Amino acid sequence: MALFINLLIIALIIGAAGYQIYHVIQRAKRGKCAACDYDCEAKKMMTKAQKQH
Amino acid sequence: MTTVALLGNPNTGKTTLFNELTDKYAYVGNWTGVTVEKKMGKIKHSEIEVVDLPGVYSLSPITKDEAVVTNYLLTNRPDLVLNVTNASQLKRNLLLSIEVLEFGAPVIIALNMIDDLKRTGHYYDFDTLTEQLGCQVKATNARNKEGLDDLRTALLQGPQPTGKKLQLTYPFMIEQAIRQASQQLVSDFDLTADFARWLTIQFINQNKSIRAYAKHMQLTPLMSQAAYYDAQKFDDQIFQTRLTFIEQTLNQASENIASTSHIQMTAKIDKWITHPLLGLPVFVGIFFLMFKLSFDWVGTPMSDLLDGFLSGPVSTTASHLLTAAGAIPILRSLVVNGLIAGVGGVLVFIPQIFVLFACISLLEDSGYMARAALVTDRIMQMIGLNGKAFIPLIIGFGCNVTGIMAARTIEQPKERLITTLISPFMSCSARLPIYSLFVAAFFPRNQALIVLSIYFLGIAVALGMAKIYQILFNVKDSSVFIVELPQYHLPRLDIIWRGTWDKGKGFIKKAGTIIFAGTVLIWLLSSFGTSGLVSDIDNSFAAMLGKGLLPLFAPLGITTWQVISALFTGILAKEVISSSMMVMFHTANQTGLIAMMARYFTPLSAYATLVFILLYVPCFATIGTIKSETGSTKWALYSVVSSLAIAYGLALIIYQVGSLFI
Amino acid sequence: MLSQTAITPTTAPLHIQQFTGLDEQTVQRLHSLGLTVGSALVPVRFYPFHGPVIINVNQQQIGIRYTVFQTLIGGD
Repeated sequence: MALFINLLIIALIIGAAGYQIYHVIQRAKRGKCAACDYDCEAKKMMTKAQKQH
Repeated sequence: MTTVALLGNPNTGKTTLFNELTDKYAYVGNWTGVTVEKKMGKIKHSEIEVVDLPGVYSLSPITKDEAVVTNYLLTNRPDLVLNVTNASQLKRNLLLSIEVLEFGAPVIIALNMIDDLKRTGHYYDFDTLTEQLGCQVKATNARNKEGLDDLRTALLQGPQPTGKKLQLTYPFMIEQAIRQASQQLVSDFDLTADFARWLTIQFINQNKSIRAYAKHMQLTPLMSQAAYYDAQKFDDQIFQTRLTFIEQTLNQASENIASTSHIQMTAKIDKWITHPLLGLPVFVGIFFLMFKLSFDWVGTPMSDLLDGFLSGPVSTTASHLLTAAGAIPILRSLVVNGLIAGVGGVLVFIPQIFVLFACISLLEDSGYMARAALVTDRIMQMIGLNGKAFIPLIIGFGCNVTGIMAARTIEQPKERLITTLISPFMSCSARLPIYSLFVAAFFPRNQALIVLSIYFLGIAVALGMAKIYQILFNVKDSSVFIVELPQYHLPRLDIIWRGTWDKGKGFIKKAGTIIFAGTVLIWLLSSFGTSGLVSDIDNSFAAMLGKGLLPLFAPLGITTWQVISALFTGILAKEVISSSMMVMFHTANQTGLIAMMARYFTPLSAYATLVFILLYVPCFATIGTIKSETGSTKWALYSVVSSLAIAYGLALIIYQVGSLFI
Repeated sequence: MLSQTAITPTTAPLHIQQFTGLDEQTVQRLHSLGLTVGSALVPVRFYPFHGPVIINVNQQQIGIRYTVFQTLIGGD
């Protein structure tokens, strides 16, 4: 049981990491603002505008 | 709901005023062009919406961001326009005010930075101004919050009847033309008289946006007369009429007051800052000081404290807790040697990065940026770029992606492409952790100097490439170079802190996402090999990858495979290079890693490695941005290949030539 | 006129002679900054190698290219 929980946690961490890498590559493909992590004013406005439409 | 549009010349303090009036924070800088799109906010405790528009000199746009304002007026009808002006430069600010007043919406003019005016011993009689301009006039000083309550009350009350609206009388021929065209517009196109008159004047005045609008709406009364208007040079006469009116008004309203003890701060500072010969050395000196603060005086001591805390108490406690909880060794290794060492190893650089960002924010707020564009213009001109192209490049110091985005303000497609292609050579903040690690290990006495040299090498490569592209693409510099030098401001702590936080929070966010992911990836690669879990890292996948490429990197002085594998994960995000090194060298803290690295590098090979790291392949986010901004995979691919070749070539030259002397 | 200038000028004031020969956008921008034929203009700084020139017009300081400066004061 303990081993199972251990493995589960490892799998979760690796899974989360894998998802993040996938996510970054997908965002980079879309390019422009989606690609960067800096939440600048222009970007906030853009996401807000997208939500409204 | 009432809408107030904030409109005025660049650098008159619109955004500061916007931040003071509304409950929303927007980015402020003491340089032209901070607001490139419109921003919205609400006046505190009210239903009044405020729109902050980019600063413009007139309603006739030259660049794209200036067109935002004209297009806003064409498509929206604000209930009130708050025209923010710089009180000590009222003459030219009123040129725009007249265009706005002619538009017909109720206007309140705010004479902002009023204390600058008072210091010169001058003042205006507000009643005369109100009467002559036909609108309310308020005095404010947004930075010291003076006059804001009064202005807020006026905005909440909404438009007030102020007597006669301003209507300038232009020379007879022009008036006749305006009357004929606007009457037809009113009768045939159902426009209001005010709007038709404004539209006609703007059309005659060769406003490109209005001409496009007229063509689009097929406003024949205007289109048919265009050639006649232009041939008569009506635009010159309109300008003269407006200027004469302004001079008369200001002469009438002008008052002398006792000049307050006036310390000419700007003059004193500019004696050195914009000195013809010392200007460039001062520019370099300011950057040197920034790195001194980040690496020697403030940043590094704080980083060391943080490192001691993370690698000491945090790491041991986590290890103990995990053992107590019954975690198997591999999970312990993942958490302690992977996550805490790797992600923590990047997080310890937060103080250095924040100190650097605080310095950049201080420069932006003080008014230095316009001067930087000026003192560097001669060099930029030689390369064929506009001095203003320097601004996207400086933004690239924060993040290359935002730098490339800022290049959008450049009108000419070829110039924009060049700026996009050279942006990745600007040393973004994500590269700081790895510089910091190397300089602490190999150049403990000259940390700031070495980092400064890397930054300037980046600029030099960027400019050199720009020159090459300029010749290849056959570009001629055609953009306007006119820089206004604003008065210096005393820095305001809250603005600097907000600027620092705006730039720095992305770094913290990345620690939780891509840096974390990169760390786990490198942990996996260095813990497993073809035979499964490996106890000796030399048999891992990471080692196989690195060792395979080692012969290629040997001429650069790189003799250890760990660095090569770290370079690969660095493409995810440049911070991951440092976390990968922490993981692969299996060290718990910076001190351990530094000791370990001393075995594999000489100062020369360390410097060559830094140069390679500075210039090699842009990160994923930047590649993606290049692709979407240029609209072609070809350019993105080209950027990867060319930067790799340049990085290799330069690092090779530095190491090989350096080896001859050292 | 206000007498305050941010940096004490060492040269006698000049006057803007013409805008002819400048491109349309530059003229428009200079007009918007309140510059017109006859405006008093005080050069504050010249950068070496025909670099930009800082001029003082209407109590404001503006940086312009050397060629633009030459045109304004009536040179070629």
